[in-house]
Order: sequence, then C-alpha cells, then structure tokens
Amino acid sequence: MSGSNQDRTKRVDLSINRLISQLLPDNPHLSDEDAQQRHDLFFDEIKQQLNQPRPPPLADQNHASELIRRRLVQTNPSQALRYSNLYSRLLALPVLNQKWAMLYLLYQLADSPDPNEPDPVAFAEFQQEQAKRRKQEEREEYGSSGPSNQESVEPPRRDQTFDDYNPTELRDVLKNPKDMKSLDGESQRPSTASDHKRNKGSKDNVSIPPKRDVAIKSKLLADNYCDIEPSEPALLRDLPYTLQGLSSTTLPFGKEYSLKLPSTLPPPLIGLLHSLAEPSLLYRTLEDFIKTPAEGLLGQSLRAAISNELRSYLTLVATLEGQIRRALSTIDENAPRSGIGKAGVTLKRCVVWTREATMGLRLMSLIAEESKSKKGGQLISLIHSFSSSHGDPIVGAFAERLLKPVTRPFYDILRYWIYDGELSDPYLEFFVQEQSVDAMPKGKSGSVNVWEDKYVLAADMIPSIVTMEFSEKVFLIGKSLNFIRHSCGDAQWVESYSKESSKELRYGDTATLETWIDEAYKTTMRRLLHLMTNKFHLFEHLQALKSYILLGQGDFIALLMESLAANLDRPAGAQYRHTLTAQLEHAIRGSNAQYDSPEVLRRLDARMLQLSHGDIGWDCFTLEYKIDAPVDVVVSDWGNRQYLKVFNFLWRVKRVEFALSSTWRKVTTGSRGVLQTARAAVRQTWKTTRGFLAEMVHFVGQLQYYILFEVIESSWTELQDKLRKEDATLDDVITAHLTYLEAITHKGLLGARRRRFVASSAGAASASVEEDDNSYMIQLGELLRTMLAYRDCVDGLYSWSVSDFMQRQEADLRHNVSHDDDDDDEDGNGASRPGGPQSEFPALQERLRHLGDRFRTKLQILLGDLAYQADVDLRFLGVAMNFNDVYQPVRRKPKGTPAAPSKTAAAADGAAVGAAALGTGKGASKG
Amino acid sequence: MPPAAGTPQDATEKQQAAQQAVDILHEISTILNCHLDRRTLSICISMIENGVNPEALANVVQFLRKEAQKADFAQEASR
Repeated sequence: MSGSNQDRTKRVDLSINRLISQLLPDNPHLSDEDAQQRHDLFFDEIKQQLNQPRPPPLADQNHASELIRRRLVQTNPSQALRYSNLYSRLLALPVLNQKWAMLYLLYQLADSPDPNEPDPVAFAEFQQEQAKRRKQEEREEYGSSGPSNQESVEPPRRDQTFDDYNPTELRDVLKNPKDMKSLDGESQRPSTASDHKRNKGSKDNVSIPPKRDVAIKSKLLADNYCDIEPSEPALLRDLPYTLQGLSSTTLPFGKEYSLKLPSTLPPPLIGLLHSLAEPSLLYRTLEDFIKTPAEGLLGQSLRAAISNELRSYLTLVATLEGQIRRALSTIDENAPRSGIGKAGVTLKRCVVWTREATMGLRLMSLIAEESKSKKGGQLISLIHSFSSSHGDPIVGAFAERLLKPVTRPFYDILRYWIYDGELSDPYLEFFVQEQSVDAMPKGKSGSVNVWEDKYVLAADMIPSIVTMEFSEKVFLIGKSLNFIRHSCGDAQWVESYSKESSKELRYGDTATLETWIDEAYKTTMRRLLHLMTNKFHLFEHLQALKSYILLGQGDFIALLMESLAANLDRPAGAQYRHTLTAQLEHAIRGSNAQYDSPEVLRRLDARMLQLSHGDIGWDCFTLEYKIDAPVDVVVSDWGNRQYLKVFNFLWRVKRVEFALSSTWRKVTTGSRGVLQTARAAVRQTWKTTRGFLAEMVHFVGQLQYYILFEVIESSWTELQDKLRKEDATLDDVITAHLTYLEAITHKGLLGARRRRFVASSAGAASASVEEDDNSYMIQLGELLRTMLAYRDCVDGLYSWSVSDFMQRQEADLRHNVSHDDDDDDEDGNGASRPGGPQSEFPALQERLRHLGDRFRTKLQILLGDLAYQADVDLRFLGVAMNFNDVYQPVRRKPKGTPAAPSKTAAAADGAAVGAAALGTGKGASKG
Repeated sequence: MPPAAGTPQDATEKQQAAQQAVDILHEISTILNCHLDRRTLSICISMIENGVNPEALANVVQFLRKEAQKADFAQEASR
C-alpha cells in the first residue's frame, strides 16, 4: 500500500512539474537558476495546496455530469445534447477510473478566462504586487534588509487564500449539501440519516478549514436553544407533504380541512406552523373544489384555471422540498439546534417562501367559494371585480391572469354569436338568452314577434368586462344575424360573412375587441337594412300603406268609393266579398294605382269586418294590406291594428264628405230648376239648409285636410328622414315607425292621449277619465252621424221639393187648361194647399233645424276642447275650423269637478249657455 | 495514465482507449470553455487518476494561469 502510495506521489510530482512547465512559459530573461528557483517555488506551493486535506467533493460521477448538464442547459442549451452524447461515450470507455473527478475538474474550470488573453483580475493583482514590491524596495533602501524571496512568496499565498475563499469555500457551502443528498437520497428515516450525517459531519468538521462565521446572529440564537419534540428538521422534512395536502407523522390532517399540530411545540413554532398550515389547507380545499362537477362552461374553465395555478404551486412545493432535502443533508446533528441555523432552510424561511403562493391560494379559494352561487357572466364579473377594483396590485395581477383562461368559453360563445348569429350556450351563461316559442308573448292572432322576443338580453348575466352599451350592440348584432339567417332566408350571406370576418376573441385587448364589434355591427346592420329594402321592399310597403290604408292615393279612393257607394248603402249582411274585390279591382284599374308594383297590389284586399245587427255596408267595409314574415317585425300586429283604426276613421270621414258633396251638388243644380219655388217658407228653409251644408262641408274639409296634411304627411316626412339616416338599424326603423303610428293616431284625434290632459288639468276622478279616453272619437263620431242624418233629411227635403215641383207643374198644366188665372199662382202659397207632400214639410223643417242646432252645439263643444288642447297641431285645427269666429267655443266642465261650483261656475255655465244660444242665433241669422 | 497492462496487445488497446478518452474530454472542455489544450488535459488526467483532488487541481490550474499572466505583465513592463 505504502509502496504504491509512494509511486503515486512520485508520479504526481512529475505531473506537477510538467504542468508548471506547460502553463508557465519559459522566461528568456531569467537565468537558469532563477527559473529553477521560481519553478521550485511554484512546485512547493502546488504541493502544499494539493496536500491540503479536502473533503472528497463527491463520489458519484452522475452528479458531476448532472452539474455540467445543468450548467449547459442554462448557458448554452444547444450544446447540452452534444454533451450528453460525449458523456455516454466517455462512460463506455474502459479506461479512467476517476471519470467523475475529471468531469468535476472540467466543471470547476468551466468558463475560465482564456489564458492567452490578458486577464484584468490578474493584471490588477500584478499591479498591486508591483506597488508592494516598490514599497518594499523603498523600505529596503532604508536599510532594512529582508529575504526578498519571502516577500515574493507571500503575496501569491495571500492571493491564493483570498482567491480560494471566494469561489471555493462559498461553493463548498452551497454544493456540498447537494452532493451529500445523493448519498442519503432515499433514506428519509431520521435514524439512518443522522447516522450518515454523523459520519459525514465529523469529516466535515475535520476537513472544513475554519471559515468566517457569517451567521453570527443565528449562532447566538442557537446557543440559547432548547430542545423541541419533534425537532425542527423533522418538521421540515414533513413540511413538503403537508404543503401538498398529504398527512405525515408529525403533521396529520384532521377531518374537514384541519391540521393537527403537535402539542409539544413551543408557541413561536406553533405560530409558524399556523401560517404554514394555511396554504396546505387552502390547497386541499381547492383540490376538492376542482373535483366537484361544474355546471356551465365557465365553471369548468374556472376549475381548469385554478388547477393550472395549483400546478404551479406544486412546482413551488417541489423546489422547496429540494431545498429542504439539501439543507437537511448538510445539517450537523451534534450542533445546537441540529445546526439548522446554518443549513439555510428553516421553518421561518419556508413561511417567507410560501407567502406569495398563499396569497394566490387565498384569492382562489375566495373565488371558488363565491363561484358556487354564481354562473356565467356573474362569474366573470366576480373575478373581474378582483382585478379591477382591488387595491392590492398582487391580487389584481393574479385575478387578471386568472381571467384569461376563465373567459375563454365566454369569448367563444361571443364569437359564435356575433359572427354566426347562433347561440351555443348550453348552460345559459351568456348575456343573450333564447326564449322558447311558448315563452314568447303572443299577438292576438297567435303570431310571435321573432325580432323582439326570440332573444332577450339578460342584464344580470352581463359580465363587468363589457359595458352595457357594448352588450346591447352585441345583442343586436347576433339578433340581426340570426334574423337574416332564419327569417330572411339569407343563410348564405351569414356563412360567408362569418368565414371572412371571424376572428379569435380573447380577454385583454378591449380596444381591438370594440373595433371588431363595431365593424361587425356596421356590416350586419347594413346588410339587414339592405335586405329589408331590396329584398323585402320595406319602404315600398310603408309607402303603400300610406297611399291605400291612409287614403293617400286620392283618385283610387274616390273611384273606389264611387263604385262601392251604391253597394255599401245596403245592409252589411248583403255585402259579398266577390263584389267587393271586383270593385277594388275596378278601382285599381281605373286609377293611377295600376302603375304600382304587382307585389304591392297583390297584398291589397277588401273585406268586411265582423258585422253586428243593423249595420250597413259602410260601417263594416275595410281595406286590408297584408304584411308577411320578415316585414312584420316593423309593421307588427299592433301596427296593423292601428292602421286599420285610422283607415276606418278616415273612411267614415271620407264617406261623409262624399255624401255631403254629392248632396251639395244635387242641391246646387236643383236650385236652378226643380227647387225653385215661389213659397217664402220653403225658400227660407232651403237657404238655411244650404248654409248648414256649407258649414258641414267646410268642417269635413278642414278635418280631412288636417288629418291628411298636417298629421299624416308631416309624420311621414319625419319617418322618411329617420329611415334614410346613414346608420339606421332595424331597431331604429321599428321605433321610427312606431312613433309615426303614434303621432298619427294621437293627432288624428284617435288616441287615448286625452287621458293625460284631463288628468293633469282637472284632476278628475279616474272613472270620468276612462270615459274621456276616446272623447274626441266619440264627439267626432256623433258629429259625423249628425251630418249623415242631416244629409238624409236634406235628401228628404229634396224629394219633397221635387214632388212639390211636379205637383205644381201638373197643377199649372191643369190650371192653364181649365182657367187662365196667373195671379192666383203668386199669392196662393203652398201652405194653404192640401196634399201629402204638403203635410211632410213642417216635420222636415223641424228636423233639419234640430239637426243643424245639434251639429252646431257639438261643434262648439269640440272647438272648446280643441282650444285647450296641449298639442299645437290640434289647437291649430280648432283655429282653422273657426277662422272667422263664427262659432263660440264652449269650455266643457269636467264632470268630476268637486261640488263646490259657486256662483262663478254657475255664472260661467250661464254664460256658456248664453253663448251657445247666441251662436245659434247668429248661425240662424247668418243662414 | 493508467498503470501498464499485462500484454502488449492489451496495452495498445488501452492506449487507444486513453486516446479516445482524451479526445472526448477535450471536446467537453471546449464546450465548457475550459481553455485546456490537449497536453495540459492529459497531465490533469494523469494527476486525477493518481488521486489528486479535482477541486484542488482546478485551483492549481487557475493559480498557475494567473502566475503566467503575471509573468507576462512583468515581461511587458520590463521591456
């Protein structure tokens, strides 16, 4: 043994010599002797270093290789593979017994400075030496002579120790534990570990040269240390398991998320363990949460995101475990506190390391807890509230990170919705929800409004990451696309659109998202309106409704009325659909309506309303314009009814006008012939009658003018303006049309708006308000009826006059034949004549007067109401009817006025009556 | 170098293997930027094989390099 040892030393010495000569080039300036001296110097130095007892750094060649590999992966990943190849080849070689040591040497020398390039560190040292030497020399000049070689030796040594201290000793501290870990890697039992450690530790103690003790404080602490059971190393060893939520001997988990701490520990340690127990318990809770089945895509994505976060937490725990293992393998069982203070890993440090992770876990468990009662958009809002309105930046950043994976399903749904117009939301998590056909409110005819009711916006599901305005836009986009696809039958366009513009939506970039949404919004709306105008002729239909149902097409209506008049005078039961349609056809052919598109004319239909007893054709006749599928979202059921109402009213007015004007014509032509009479009473009656007729014609004319021009035409212009707007959406069109209809029904005296007026002005009881609802309608209806009755009377008078005329003619003939007495004709008034027609005249006269008075009274009441109407247009109607103040408007007292009307009220009443009387008087005098 | 083997054939084989080992180690040292030439490397190998502590040897190599540099500086200064 000793022989081989000697042999070995010799060989090493030889090698040292070779190494010196290899690394130190010969200096030509030095003499041989000096060179030799220098060589020897180095030799001694090296020898000394090599013989310094050192701990065998490691005995496992895998470890050295692993060190190298790790280093390469960090610095130069491309070479790592190459290294692995080389390493396996090296292992395969039969030579070399100390491969690991060689590798370790290379590892130590790795990235050493290039010896051929000047090394700044060496240069600095050299300069220091130079300076020192110069000082030395100066000193020497003063006479103190010292062995120069000693001086020259000293600096390198100091250098060397200095050098040595930094890289090597520090490395020692850091790396030795790792090396030793591999020794007792799998033995976790304290007994074996400590056995090992005792061996190792003793060696360490011997071999490690006394180093400067950095951890003075910990040493002090260690001195004041008393034993605990279980020991801190034991606790540390179990800690990784606890952090992963697994029970261990020292720290077993109890029931329902609790951790049992050993009761033997002192309070400070218990405190530390408390803070370490938090992440473990939270981890367990979260793990259980992940395992619970989620209802809803967002719930699932939340679980996935949380489990992802837990994985990174586990990575942390794994690193921690590595640190703990390494530290435990170095600690010295004999040292106080088992020397744990020097090992670098303590329970306290673990608390610090897990601190941030604990925050994350805490937040996640909070979210998990709250998410149980929430779903869909609310879930997103919940997490978003953490990220947007939490003061702690860490919490905010964490929630923000969590949001990205969690919101993915939401954005998928959103994308599908705004690019395909389909709702793929199996768990009802989106803020747009589809209503089943049964749930949709039905119109009177059982039809449903696809546009309004198929989808609804669920306000509570709108996540806070999108604004209300934004969500409405999204809602409208999807609805439009869906409408285009299903109701307009243009699925092709939707598909191509979704193909070319579909984009991946993601959380985060709100600005881009909004531009995309805006873009999609514009495209969709434009397309929808385009379809509505060009494919479904929405505007043409509106135009047609106006010209036919609202009597805009004058020639058509006149012709229709003329041709139907005879027919409609008969009772309602005698009306037949085929005659009606034939007449309608005739009216279309005979008027400009024939140039309208067949698409429009096809939809025009004439029919009878449900008839009640005693009605005549006029009351039941109606024109109808049929609107079908996609357009009916604009002209809805309700809209159709409004149109019908307006038509019926207008039709009645028109009819009265028609009747009055035909009578007027008859009377005017008759006054030149058959109606001429010598009797003053009859003449007077005709005069009054003509006056009344003129008043009525004026009234009806004003009414018609008002409705057609002031109301319908002006509303129509407004509607046109709104429809032609650049960025009008279908919703805008629908609202515009609605306002249009409302304006017409309200201003056209048909609306129920008076309720408000009455309520506000008089504070009348609700019963009377109800009565007043349609007061204008009722008043106008009565007026119209009065006019019709009057006209019937006039007709009666006319026929009486005609028959009277005939009798006179006959009488004249007879008279001429029998006796030529002309004078008798002059004074012989009809009143004295006997005969049938003669007896009818007073009754007719009386009735005419009565009807005329009624008409006037009613008109005055109406004018009184109109004069106090809130709407300017309605007031203006009153003015137009009474432009020369012929009538005295009567202010009607609201019926429900409190019973306190004192003298003033009575006086007012009297005045009103007086005015009415005066009015009639005036009218009479005028007539 | 490993101790000499029994037969000459064995010896040549060993030599070849040793040559290969030096090649491989040299390559590794290049990857790691050790700046060792083949000769120095083989000296180191032989020292390691003879039981020298690799860490100490690493220190020695560094130390000698530094010394060499210092010598260079000294030469330059004197020139």
